[in-house]
Amino acid sequence: MTRHLHVDFASATPIWSQIEEGIRRLVGSSALAPGGPVPSVRELAKDLRVNPATVAKAYQRLADAGLLTVRRGEGTFVAAEPPAMARSERGRVLKEGANRYASLAASLGATSGDAESELAAAWKRLGNGAKREGR
Amino acid sequence: MISEAVSSPSAAPASRPEEGSPGEIRHLTVRYGTTEACSDVSFSIARGGVYTLLGRNGAGKSSLVRCLLGEQKPTSGEARLFGESVWRHRARLLARVGVVPEEPDAPPSMTAGQIADFCRRLYPSWDDASVTRRLARFGVPAKTPFGRLSKGQKGQVLLAMALAPQPDLLVMDDPTLGLDVVARRSFWEELVEDLADRGTTVFVTTHDLASIEGIATRVGILKGGRLALDEDVETLKSRFRRIRYGNRMTETRTEFGSELDQFEAVQVKVRGWGIDAVVSDWEEEKFDRFRRIDGVEEAESSAMSLEEIFLAVAGEAPAEAGGETR
Repeated sequence: MTRHLHVDFASATPIWSQIEEGIRRLVGSSALAPGGPVPSVRELAKDLRVNPATVAKAYQRLADAGLLTVRRGEGTFVAAEPPAMARSERGRVLKEGANRYASLAASLGATSGDAESELAAAWKRLGNGAKREGR
Repeated sequence: MISEAVSSPSAAPASRPEEGSPGEIRHLTVRYGTTEACSDVSFSIARGGVYTLLGRNGAGKSSLVRCLLGEQKPTSGEARLFGESVWRHRARLLARVGVVPEEPDAPPSMTAGQIADFCRRLYPSWDDASVTRRLARFGVPAKTPFGRLSKGQKGQVLLAMALAPQPDLLVMDDPTLGLDVVARRSFWEELVEDLADRGTTVFVTTHDLASIEGIATRVGILKGGRLALDEDVETLKSRFRRIRYGNRMTETRTEFGSELDQFEAVQVKVRGWGIDAVVSDWEEEKFDRFRRIDGVEEAESSAMSLEEIFLAVAGEAPAEAGGETR
């Protein structure tokens, strides 16, 4: 599972935020099943070679957001029913992402058709990835 | 353990909250004759953090570490451990500090087991099991004298000895110097394990920037004896960026060479294709204004690794000279 989590040290995004995002993505694509265990803080810290406090910070935020549950003495698990994003919130986040992608595409001189077909292809790859994980 | 780590994100031990920082350097100056190795250096090591001191050879790191460990009296200023002067209370304070020196040093004829037996008697809180585990995991032979171990094995023996008394502060002076990439990797992994278990505060000097990148929480950079920088890794990485752009004279352009003025540029290099600059105060809005400047073309900004930031701050080209190359 954790081999699907990557930390890019050269990125400007803080490491805890990259881990948080990565786990959200894995939960979202069901690669991490609802109710299933996630690696312990120390395991993940060791795998990614990052400070355990950094992993703990990401887990804490995910637990606060209701995505993970901590069972004392047992470990950390994906919540049985991860909360769905509020409709308005989801719309806002989607729109922001779309704006970023559109301006990137435009600055590269791509047409809107190019951009749309790349998006469709990426969507497809994501679906296949999630299926593979599910097995 | 897991739940504990999650419920206290700092992973810091809550003991003795009233006492001072595990390690603090106050206006420290070290002079040898007329040469100043450290000039008025001040910083503080946060409990549960990993403070990483960087600097080129001769920047003053070793003098500073010796003062922190009470092995040397500073010319002026002082080093404090847990809120007290190291120089005045060395023995008592050092009992709470684990040290991994730059040169793995122990009596060459003693085996790892004999060294552990010797050290055990000096510390009330000696954790024997952790030593055995660590040495077994790294395949350090029990019956081989220290002098005949490999450099990596020697390092593991000393790390095991430094951690066994369960110190509140671990001080390491370039602990992976001379180790191959595999040995370096296991050394840092081992450190991560200890941080997960105990949240030990760490002070480390190193040249192994790629390995320390994910582990360090705060970075200090010594340059010519002065502390050029002392900052949390996260904020450091958010403000340093590399900017590359083509710089053209246009018919409407009135000024040339002043386009970077709104930034604090710590390094500027002229390349065949344009300008390659490092700025220390990058902000999205500023960069948006910058890329709209007449004659600035194809401007790109990229985040930097700790190693790149270190090179820009402490590397051979000082900021002034870099500016003049235009």
